Amino acid sequence: MAKEKKKSTFGAVLGRMFGIKKKELNFQEEEALQSPGRVTARNFFRRPTAVFGLIVFVLIFALVMIGPYFMPIDLGHSDSNLANIAPGYNMMDVPDEMIKEGIADIVAGQTYGVGLSEAGKIYTWGYTRVSNTIDLKDVPVELTTGEVNVVYMAAGLDHAVAIDEDNNFYFWGNNRLNQDKYQSNAELNRALLMNKLEIKQLEAGNQFSVILDTDGNVYLWGNASNVDLDCRQAEREEEGMSYEPRKYQGNIEKVAVTSNAYVCLLKDGTVAYTGYQKDSPLNVNLPEELKNGSVKVVDIAASSQCVAAVDETGKVWVWGVSTKGEKEVPVMESHPVKLYGGRYHFTALLENGDVISWGDDMYGQASVPGSVQDEQIVDLFCGGYQNYAITADGDIETWGLKGFLCGTDEQGRDVLARIVNGGKTTMTVGAIAVIIATLIGVLLGGLAGYFGGKLDMTISRVAEVVGGMPFLPFALILSAVIPKDVSNIQRVYIIMVVLGVLSWVGTFRLVRAQIFSQREQEYVTAAKALGVKEGTILRKHIIPNVMSVLLVSITLDFATCMLTESTLSYLGFGITAPTPTWGNMLNTCNDSIVIQQYWWRWVFPAAIFGLCTVCINLIGDGLRDAMDPKSNGR
Amino acid sequence: MKRLVYIVVVFFITSFLMYCLFSLIPSDPARNQLEGVKKSMKPEAYQQMYEELRDKMGLDDPIVIRYARWIGFMPDKQSGEFDGLLQGNFGYSLLRQKDCVDVIKTPMANTILFNIFTTILTLAVTIPLGIWCAVHKGSKLDQGVQAFTILGYSLPQYIIALIFIFVFAVLLKWFPVNGAATPGSTYTGLRELLDRLYYMSLPILVSLFGALGGMSRYVRASMIDALSMDCIRTARAKGVKERVVIYSHAWRNALLPVVTSIIGWFLSVFSGSLVLENVFGLNGMGALYIKALNGSDAELCLAIQMFYTVVALLGNLITDLAYGFVDPRIRVNK
Repeated sequence: MAKEKKKSTFGAVLGRMFGIKKKELNFQEEEALQSPGRVTARNFFRRPTAVFGLIVFVLIFALVMIGPYFMPIDLGHSDSNLANIAPGYNMMDVPDEMIKEGIADIVAGQTYGVGLSEAGKIYTWGYTRVSNTIDLKDVPVELTTGEVNVVYMAAGLDHAVAIDEDNNFYFWGNNRLNQDKYQSNAELNRALLMNKLEIKQLEAGNQFSVILDTDGNVYLWGNASNVDLDCRQAEREEEGMSYEPRKYQGNIEKVAVTSNAYVCLLKDGTVAYTGYQKDSPLNVNLPEELKNGSVKVVDIAASSQCVAAVDETGKVWVWGVSTKGEKEVPVMESHPVKLYGGRYHFTALLENGDVISWGDDMYGQASVPGSVQDEQIVDLFCGGYQNYAITADGDIETWGLKGFLCGTDEQGRDVLARIVNGGKTTMTVGAIAVIIATLIGVLLGGLAGYFGGKLDMTISRVAEVVGGMPFLPFALILSAVIPKDVSNIQRVYIIMVVLGVLSWVGTFRLVRAQIFSQREQEYVTAAKALGVKEGTILRKHIIPNVMSVLLVSITLDFATCMLTESTLSYLGFGITAPTPTWGNMLNTCNDSIVIQQYWWRWVFPAAIFGLCTVCINLIGDGLRDAMDPKSNGR
Repeated sequence: MKRLVYIVVVFFITSFLMYCLFSLIPSDPARNQLEGVKKSMKPEAYQQMYEELRDKMGLDDPIVIRYARWIGFMPDKQSGEFDGLLQGNFGYSLLRQKDCVDVIKTPMANTILFNIFTTILTLAVTIPLGIWCAVHKGSKLDQGVQAFTILGYSLPQYIIALIFIFVFAVLLKWFPVNGAATPGSTYTGLRELLDRLYYMSLPILVSLFGALGGMSRYVRASMIDALSMDCIRTARAKGVKERVVIYSHAWRNALLPVVTSIIGWFLSVFSGSLVLENVFGLNGMGALYIKALNGSDAELCLAIQMFYTVVALLGNLITDLAYGFVDPRIRVNK
């Protein structure tokens, strides 16, 4: 006895927390004073495994019940650019060395950053993997050692470009779609050969790149299928015919690159879409005022599908396809002087040195931290889901997407958020199914056990039929016949009921057998002989005895129901996507590529689910052992 | 005998329930049959022919009559012959455009082969392990095994499968990731069997791991109970050798609960193989079942479902018989 006490002082502490006082008693007094419930509780908390199970389960339970309030998910959300990202939290970890050398330029990709230091070296950080063999981290060696002095650098969806002071081009990343074929642009070639190319701006979009030279010419190259890689001067001149033909080449001040188009700010302060897709929203929705020169635009910037422009009066114009609130420009205290575009957000640097962001704020990319407002910001770099602000003393402030702790799935959804929300569904389904099963089981078992005879016979036969049916195939049909048009929520309810209705047999047998055996016990006979009322016997003697066994079975059934639900969902017959559950999160992970390369998609849900069921089973086993009078160790 | 009658009754009740359920799956064999000629006919003529066919096939009759036809109690409306499940007609698979019997043959053989191997292997491992753990209760190794086995019965099979694929197929490359046979192989005889076993070995291992949890714990528990019986104490007191005590006295007593659980477990293997066949892409009943359900192929589903039901019922029957065999005190037909 003493030995046992020493072994699990932790359990004893918990025991005390739950109101079980431990007095120094010899065991006869103990026997006399402690109710069976207390003995059970004490025994339970003496078992380290059971206590461990309880603690971990409570933690997981709290996580999935409280977590969804902090991590709500949008069921319809998906973002192909963020698909299958490995776990990490380093998407904005600018290398210290680079900060020391001084930051010349930063390109924020979707999930990575590429930086150019004042020393002309290139640095990368974040999740740079493009495919199995292509990684943006593999920067050409000469660029990282400082051998060549890189002056311009840009990065698109899957490729990066750098140009050194001698106009040498460097490419890395994906080059399968001609991202590196700058020679294909004849004008650019000519300019390079004649050695008169003076670069002013280098930009990169999805698989294409743009150079703007100091003369105001743009040169494009790359994947021609998405974007027109030519400045369509001749064809587009008619656009300006009504007043005066607009000349583009040689007249361009700045280009803004969306994911597959570009818009130019001309030297006269007007804006032009010079591509060939005349019905592109960037062209059609381009405000007339910006085209006809009635306002003078100071700066333009592009998100993935929108372009924003700011004019001299500080008014911000946004056009294009706005899906995430890019057009909801906030009220600004002073004039914006420069604009920067991310994937779904814009950031503006104001005249008074303030910084303001708007647009999609899913990853906090439009929430400028207070520390940025206090600092003197000299430069800003935005892109993807990130913002980098350079302060006057050379420090760097960042806000936006840092990464995903558990990675993302094939649709770019945060695995952690889905685990938390899916856990809620899985646990709720498991709990309700168990409650239904227990209610049916207790009711029928009670009836059968208490009344016996014909009723017992009938119910038992029914139970045998239900119990004799193969469980999983049967559950599969039941969920297969659910009409396809019910909503996801209704489906969840139906699955609960199906599981509950199919799994009551165990409880029924248990309750029935327990009532039978209790009724035959001598103490019940004694109570009857003493003239105790039937109702009192039931309440005082039979129900408590059934309850204790029932408790164990409920615990274990809970785990089983969760397992069944997840198995059904895994097979695609339970709760279907987009509602996450721990089972259907693994539904798409059933192939060797996912298992191997995107391990985070199955490891995390599987781990937490496994942990959860192990803990429930530990609790159940612990309870059973604690209730077993044989294990009391006397 | 009474038991047998009872089983037959349960079979009919279950099959009727199944039939009702499957008739809920939206499918229209008449329309399917006419799909080919639909374009070449006028809509009215088509409609008329469709209704005639429906009538001929008896699709609008009450469900009880349709059931009776399907199972073979009533003559078929078209041919006038008794042609149902009991006569060996399992129906026609819309999905594969073949008789269900032909569709089911190979998967059924695969599934049964798979389950037999799993069963043999599992029993060969879990029973000795359970006995050993019971005899050496509380030892370090026993505690280790207990901790290990709790994983086996807490984790769902598909998670175990994913982990095993990752470790054994992806990392160690010992086994193929999925499939039923080497693609393009033309092995015959023993070589073919070995090849199939090679592809089955990983699913069997997964199954074994899952069973380790449930079964060996069960064997252990009933062995511990049996070992604490008075007769064991007496036997030991008499000086009977420990070996004999364990394997003859205690094991015999522990067998009864173990037999029940073995049967129960055997049934769950069939359900479990449903999951595993899908994970590993084996051509078995389970995989076929999922395909049939996804394709709304009601008759094929029914045929497969009946297979599962028969297995379950047979299992129950065997349990009852085994009781009598193991424990002479219980005689089923008394």
